Amino acid sequence: MANAESNVDNNVEGQNVEGQNADGQNAEGPSAEGPSAEGPVDIDAVKRDWVGHKFDSTQFRVHGDRMLAWAEACGETDPRFTDADHPDFQAHPTYTAQFGAKQLFPKGFPKLGRGGFDAGKAVEVHQPVHAGETLTGESEIHDIYTKTGRSGTMIFIVHRMTFSNEAGEPVSTVDWRIMRSAKD
Amino acid sequence: MRYEDVELGDDLPETEPDVSMARVLQFCGSAKMNFPRFNDHEAARKEGLPGAIVPGIMSQGLLASMIHHWAPGARIVKLDTVFRTPIVVDTHPRCVGAITDTDDEQRRVEVDLTIMNDAGNTSVLGTALVELD
Repeated sequence: MANAESNVDNNVEGQNVEGQNADGQNAEGPSAEGPSAEGPVDIDAVKRDWVGHKFDSTQFRVHGDRMLAWAEACGETDPRFTDADHPDFQAHPTYTAQFGAKQLFPKGFPKLGRGGFDAGKAVEVHQPVHAGETLTGESEIHDIYTKTGRSGTMIFIVHRMTFSNEAGEPVSTVDWRIMRSAKD
Repeated sequence: MRYEDVELGDDLPETEPDVSMARVLQFCGSAKMNFPRFNDHEAARKEGLPGAIVPGIMSQGLLASMIHHWAPGARIVKLDTVFRTPIVVDTHPRCVGAITDTDDEQRRVEVDLTIMNDAGNTSVLGTALVELD
């Protein structure tokens, strides 16, 4: 298990776990993925083989000062998020979206398409996150699908992280949609 | 804001979030995301971006704040965001939203959310599930 403090710095949008990053940035780079498949990739087969595959567990420390800075930077006005003395002081709802796994894909995962963009994130809140907690994020490949538009077919890989607190209670689920071009 | 106070189709008050470099630096500090594409216009342009960009997860946070501004005390159950085009730092985006579904039993509403850039184009699309008192 990784050190909690060090992994707080593993954020997904700048982190370079596998050369991936976000906001339109290229995601090529060293990877745990296997070699590129020759010819058309059978997405259904990849989906059958990998969806539900759990592959990473990382711990993250939650810092009160960073919770406050995050909420303020986002223009928050509700004292639950901006006042450390509030009886219900808690992290902003999407706070866990910053935490990234040690690896984006499982070892041996086929290289699907090329490039890579952060297409979006979905955060489900199960219960509030509090300052001082150490969360454990468990990663799995949650879904793989394609969409075809004007710019061609894009492959979407959904990396799900499920966060729990020290009591083992689920606090948050974050789905990170990574988009890649199906073109070689 | 109580559940009884809202109706399907209601608009949320529009917000104009602060995405100045100072705010983005604060966010990047809180999330340990100190990278040139977020904090340096010139370096971001060298990466092919129109300028330093607002982190996607900050834009998600802006939408969460918009919901709390509309309904203090509300509980965001889920917030799903699609990052379409980057929001450039030091510009003036606008956040808009509307209630698209209601659930009397759970006292929850679904809210469609959009962040538009200076040109009025959609930068971020979102859907939130929000529980009200």
